[in-house]
Amino acid sequence: MYSAARKAVKLIPTYNSLPVRTLSPWWLAGLTLAMTSGSVGAAAQSLPSEPIVFGDGRVTIGAEVTGTFACTNSATSTSEVCSDDTGYFNYSDYQHSTLRMLRVDVSTAVKATERLSVLAEVRSEDGERVRPYALYVRLKPWSERAFDIQAGRVPPTFGAFARRTYPSDNLLIGYPLAYQYLTSLRPDALPANADELLRMQGRGWRSSFSVGNAAGDKGLPIASAFRWDTGVQVHGAIRIVDAALSVTTGSLANPLVGDDNGGKQIAGRVSVRPLPGLLLGVSASHSPYLTRAVTRAAGVESENRNYTQTAFGADVEYSRDYYLVRFETIVSDWRLPLVAAPSIRLPLRATSTLVEGRYKIRPGLYAAARLDHLGFSEITGTTRTSTWDAPVTRYEIGGGYSILRNVLLKGSFQYNSRPAGRTQKLKLGALQLVFWF
Amino acid sequence: MRSAFVCALLSCVAVASIVLTNHAVELRAAAPGAIRGRVTLRTVVPVNERRPTVAELGTPRERDFSDRLRSVVYLESAPRGAFERIEPGRVVMDQRNETFVPHLLAVTTGTVVDFPNGDPFYHNVFSLSKANRFDLGRYPSGKLKSVQFTRPGIVRVFCEIHSHMNAYILVFSHPFFAVTDDAGRFRIENIPPGTYNVIAWNEGTASEPKPVTVPDGATSEADFTLR
Repeated sequence: MYSAARKAVKLIPTYNSLPVRTLSPWWLAGLTLAMTSGSVGAAAQSLPSEPIVFGDGRVTIGAEVTGTFACTNSATSTSEVCSDDTGYFNYSDYQHSTLRMLRVDVSTAVKATERLSVLAEVRSEDGERVRPYALYVRLKPWSERAFDIQAGRVPPTFGAFARRTYPSDNLLIGYPLAYQYLTSLRPDALPANADELLRMQGRGWRSSFSVGNAAGDKGLPIASAFRWDTGVQVHGAIRIVDAALSVTTGSLANPLVGDDNGGKQIAGRVSVRPLPGLLLGVSASHSPYLTRAVTRAAGVESENRNYTQTAFGADVEYSRDYYLVRFETIVSDWRLPLVAAPSIRLPLRATSTLVEGRYKIRPGLYAAARLDHLGFSEITGTTRTSTWDAPVTRYEIGGGYSILRNVLLKGSFQYNSRPAGRTQKLKLGALQLVFWF
Repeated sequence: MRSAFVCALLSCVAVASIVLTNHAVELRAAAPGAIRGRVTLRTVVPVNERRPTVAELGTPRERDFSDRLRSVVYLESAPRGAFERIEPGRVVMDQRNETFVPHLLAVTTGTVVDFPNGDPFYHNVFSLSKANRFDLGRYPSGKLKSVQFTRPGIVRVFCEIHSHMNAYILVFSHPFFAVTDDAGRFRIENIPPGTYNVIAWNEGTASEPKPVTVPDGATSEADFTLR
């Protein structure tokens, strides 16, 4: 299957001339149909359904394989039927569509001692080379206390969705806007003035500015769901309270392995479970986010630490019987050097709010929906006052059916709208097949 | 008059003795037997581990480990009349420290299984088994939800929230089965005399049917080795 997947990957040009790797739609549709047919469903019974354990119980390996395919109502020069996301509403950090993807995750936990474990995860998207996603040690100094120190490429501290990005955990197929949608801001390029920034409204998939790296490239989401940051994380829990604090190399929007600006991200999260089924969480994060190269280009390298991303988040989850409801909001402020007039009103603020829910209709079958909005603060250019990026609204409705306990088929309909960019309204239908053990 | 009374009494005694004798013969003919024996496991199925908790902020809580030593031994086909004698009952499968207790239940059709939540957090018991599909939804500590198992078959039970939690419920349409103890010993009682195919089952693995003859009122022995 892996070699077949590699053959199915084609390097195709897109209208923005950015090379985008995407899966052949027919191959993925075939995979989905095959996996849902009875014969392959029976064969799936022989696939592992539990994590693989060896080394006297010290090594545990799990995996998740996901095939996702989507069609839009929008025609392009290369496809009139079933075209890709022409508005780049669902593109990820890696310049892949999150709605047309074959993803393989393999995670491992190695218990070195009772108190020390090594955890790792590698990931391959669309048959490309395998990338390390997580690699860290987990130390539990006191066996009786819920207190851990994790060091390396660690799980995200900020937010609720950040640790639920696995397709088997995500109620729908699309990602929340805050964790995936690319704004026009970049860590390696700066708009010289407000007019330059306003020109990039709705073009986060390939924004370009005159200061720093002038080549077009992807912008930043509020928080990245596709990479983890590198550093140290401390976590503890007492009764109904759970808290984590981390110091890492990158920023909330741009997690890194190697430092690019000499600054550190400090992030924290506290969650409380006052009632069964109710979880209340708050998060905060602060870090410099611009590369040293771009602040040098702007002539403000010595003030590098002043150009920061600061974010606050709040989340609520309540579940009971057959329903589950979640709410999450994030406010992120970016500060950047003011190079020329008309100057940009700081901070640049992005606010995301989502509500999602799930209801189990019958055993193995559920319906879900999400309403999501991403808004931006206003700035004033030479000729107009407007939000610094185009606000986006997305709703997605769909559901899932468990063919087996660990084989889940999801389907959804997604509607996106924003008042700027090449595609301003987009409807998508998506299917996703998830196998995990 | 007196002779007539004696004649009638003798007739009654004769009739009564014939009836009682026939009944005794019947009772002897139906005297049930039993099958006992032992199931030996060459390898014990390991306890399910959690999926690697890479995305969690810390070490997951300690949990109990259920043993996988117990098996079920049952008659492949039941004697005539067995199905009318089922008296469905009520049994409990608890959820304690992220473990189903017991890990294995064997019940007759119609039995109601209670699933109390003994943990201080939510569980969501469900099964996608063809024999009995159900989903009890999320419920908190101290609450109890129940399922009546109406169709025979193997029911694999899981928790939607804790993927490492699982258990088996074997539902039979007859009462001729037994769950072994930890040493593998079993005894199936009240089996009408006859020859039966007996099967031993452990964690999804079943033995070949073994023919066993149950004599009138006696106990037969049958041992099994699995895996």
